[in-house]
Amino acid sequence: MDPSVYVKDFLRLLAKRTIGAIGVSLGTITIIFLISHVLSPNPAHLWAGPRARASTILAVQARYHLTDPLFLQFYYFLRDLITGNFGIDPLSGQPILAEILFYLPNTLELVFVSFAMLVVVGIGLGYLSGMRFSTPVDSVIRTIYLVSWSTPMYLAAILGILVFATYLPIFPSGGMYSLSLTPVRSVTGFYLVDSLIGLNIPAFLSGLQHLILPAVVLAAVNFGLISRAVRSSILNVRWSTYVKTARAKGLNEDEVKRKHILRNALIDATSLSAVLFGWVLTGTVVVEELFAWPGLGQFAFQAIYSNDYPVLIPIVVVFTLGVIVANFVADVLYSILDPRIAMGAQTGAIS
Amino acid sequence: MQGILVIVVLLLVIAGGVYFYSSNRPGTTSTTSQAPTTLVVEEESQPDSMDPAVSYATSGWEVVEQVYQGLLAPNGQSYTSYVGVLAHDWSASSDGMTYTFTLRPGVTFSNGDPFNAFVMWFSIYRTLVMNQGPAWILGQNLGASNGAGFNVTDSMLNSINYTSPSPKDLNYMTYPNQSVQVTGPNQLIIRLGYGYNGQAPYSSFLATLSTPTAYAVDPIVVEANGGVVADQPNNWMETNAVGTSFYKLQSWIQGQSVTLVKNQNYWGANVSTSEGNSAIQPAIIDTVNLYYKPTSTMVADLKSGFAQIIVAPTSQYSVLNQIQGVSVSVLPPVFGSAQGVHFLYMDPYAFQPFQDVRVREAIANAIDYKSIIHTVFNDQATQWIGPVPPGFPDYNESTTGLQPYQFDPAMAANLLAQAGYKATLPDGTKLNAGGKIFPAVNFLYDADSSTEGQTAQIIATELGSIGITVTLTPLTFKQYANVITSTSDPSTTAYPFGISFYSEDYTASIDYVSAITTTGQIGFSAYSNATVAGWTTAAASALDENTVISNLSQITKAMYYDYTDIWLYVPYFMAANKSNVVGMIPNPAGSGAAYFMFYNTVHYSS
Repeated sequence: MDPSVYVKDFLRLLAKRTIGAIGVSLGTITIIFLISHVLSPNPAHLWAGPRARASTILAVQARYHLTDPLFLQFYYFLRDLITGNFGIDPLSGQPILAEILFYLPNTLELVFVSFAMLVVVGIGLGYLSGMRFSTPVDSVIRTIYLVSWSTPMYLAAILGILVFATYLPIFPSGGMYSLSLTPVRSVTGFYLVDSLIGLNIPAFLSGLQHLILPAVVLAAVNFGLISRAVRSSILNVRWSTYVKTARAKGLNEDEVKRKHILRNALIDATSLSAVLFGWVLTGTVVVEELFAWPGLGQFAFQAIYSNDYPVLIPIVVVFTLGVIVANFVADVLYSILDPRIAMGAQTGAIS
Repeated sequence: MQGILVIVVLLLVIAGGVYFYSSNRPGTTSTTSQAPTTLVVEEESQPDSMDPAVSYATSGWEVVEQVYQGLLAPNGQSYTSYVGVLAHDWSASSDGMTYTFTLRPGVTFSNGDPFNAFVMWFSIYRTLVMNQGPAWILGQNLGASNGAGFNVTDSMLNSINYTSPSPKDLNYMTYPNQSVQVTGPNQLIIRLGYGYNGQAPYSSFLATLSTPTAYAVDPIVVEANGGVVADQPNNWMETNAVGTSFYKLQSWIQGQSVTLVKNQNYWGANVSTSEGNSAIQPAIIDTVNLYYKPTSTMVADLKSGFAQIIVAPTSQYSVLNQIQGVSVSVLPPVFGSAQGVHFLYMDPYAFQPFQDVRVREAIANAIDYKSIIHTVFNDQATQWIGPVPPGFPDYNESTTGLQPYQFDPAMAANLLAQAGYKATLPDGTKLNAGGKIFPAVNFLYDADSSTEGQTAQIIATELGSIGITVTLTPLTFKQYANVITSTSDPSTTAYPFGISFYSEDYTASIDYVSAITTTGQIGFSAYSNATVAGWTTAAASALDENTVISNLSQITKAMYYDYTDIWLYVPYFMAANKSNVVGMIPNPAGSGAAYFMFYNTVHYSS
């Protein structure tokens, strides 16, 4: 493909996605704002404390404009959001943006590792299952991914803790790193990366030790979908005419598998990966709470529980943007895997 | 080549597994949990704030109580007797309106900054001026304004030099007609009468002074980090802590843990044994790690040996009791009372049928209290008569001659029929067939509490069997708390009936009694009676025990026969720890693992 066309396509897709992201974010903000206000029209009492005096409650109401008409409250909220500081958390008193920036890298670290696991394992098992169709290997793999896929996240987490932290104490039951270690100097906010930058191997190992169990749980309950998709794609392509042609042309079997079977099978897996990234991201709400992982998911859980919508809305916006970005990346990957597919087009649309 | 690669990968995986296994095994020294100088405590709720003027949750106070100190603290034996912490001694005037404190010399903050009477003046006024959630505890009796032109403001607090006060600064702090007056570098007077209770003494004033709201904060640190702003919290102080106490806050990894380490500059280390007490003795354990985890994980960690103390509900009693090396004990009712007393409220302003006392009495008779305690709490709860909570001072005296409400469905049906409604006896006989059908009423309870959910189901069934239909309307805890503490017009509430609760702010019966009898909203109880409110004021301001008891008895009887609030149950509180962890001094005022005050006395048995 002509590089200039590719760049043009890329920019067009970027512009389209940016506009879409703004629209989706605004919609999300509006819906959550309205739901929060229906559930608790005036949470000043909640935020001020159970026996707070009237003057304390009035101060909270004034600070968050809680007695103003709803559209004005929404305006103030949007203003804070757009001007960048996201306002002040009514429960912790901290700037919300600073809180999100503290929690976000922890979540991303967990999500990236988990996502990498599920993609590698999911594609690997799907490929193996498809290539060994109707053999015991295929049956075992299908059973594994069906069981894991149908296991609720909380159950997998509790079982993981029980087996690997209690009965077979290989991993800690929670937290992000051992408290006995000297804290790592934050450079990127990503604990593992920062410990490597500081050449702090004990901190890195401790971080890794704490990361594995929650990441495996997140990956374990999600990889089945990708395995199933890859298996099904493999079954579609392995007996297709172009694969037969490739073999007939005398191509090496490894090359046939790699270039013709796997590569084509990965197209569906790529689109699914974007969906799964969203699932993994939102799955952190349960996993982080159960593993005491100080990330955005746990922060969201606490915000929901505390009716802390000034915090909840920006978190949901971050999650929404995460899913949008994942879909954008999937679109770009599509066109790399199959240059016939225009960037941003649906699967199968040939440019 | 591929075979070698596979073997290398396998060896690495096995080596990693062995490393992780050995580094996480109980009994090794490389983990935080097993070092004998480290204690791991696990609980569910995270701290709300590190600022003594803002924190209002047990989990927040738990940390604040280890890092900051106040003038006095419970003495460890009695729930209502105190020992000096930052105060060496004190005296009260005969009218109970003035307290004079002499402070300990040589007290410093962990960063070396000095503590003196000026700092204490600053600390108390800071809480009042910031006006955050718990400020009412001091605000009952103290005020930033004397009502006659003298106002302590945020700019005044920020302008004063508390180490070497200028004459102008001294004018402010030594002014006599105010709540806190400095009379010397180590002496101050605290005057009641400037709070919303008005010109009256307060029998539990020392209890309010022992709460974090009156803890000493370092004005130099505050001023370096944003100062005091009226009606607003201080961002820096919310997440950092510099106090005078035996522990320092090393880290608060929000969402994960709090780490406390020994304060190496602790002033209490220089106090002679004769001058010391358990509240100021230096810490024995070097590091306390507090983790915040769900119950299932806490139980697993106690079992694996990672955690030494956990805060778990009594529903886990039998599970924990089976773990070897774990000590589980159900504490006396006063500890359950501190966590929360539960009762039904009926709001007569919002639901007209509740204006008839016969209806309210019918409901009181329709509930099988013993069955709820047995079924829902596995007998780990007790029935009570309010508003004084069981185990608290004067409970026995105020309930003399009264029996907890009894289950009598026949009486309940008869009362309902007498009130003009159709009713059904336990044998199915219909009473007052020509009467009105009792209108359905919403029933509020906390959806996050499985015990309240079960209780609500039982009550709905029992009321249904006599002819009262309730619509269960659960709300998540925060929503629920917002409703039952609401200050909005009670006649407009959608929740005229439901389960309410109250938990301790400080160890004083009057804390519960005043909240339940005089809040004047739906507010906890829906109870409003001017005479009873007067008795509450009399009990709060009485300085002799007989007057207190007499007023509390009258309140108890009046509420008992009014049936607006039906006293349900007080769940017991359970302490669970490894058997080799000792030294906890249980006190209902304490927030450490929700039942003791300070971690400085906790240690491993040899």
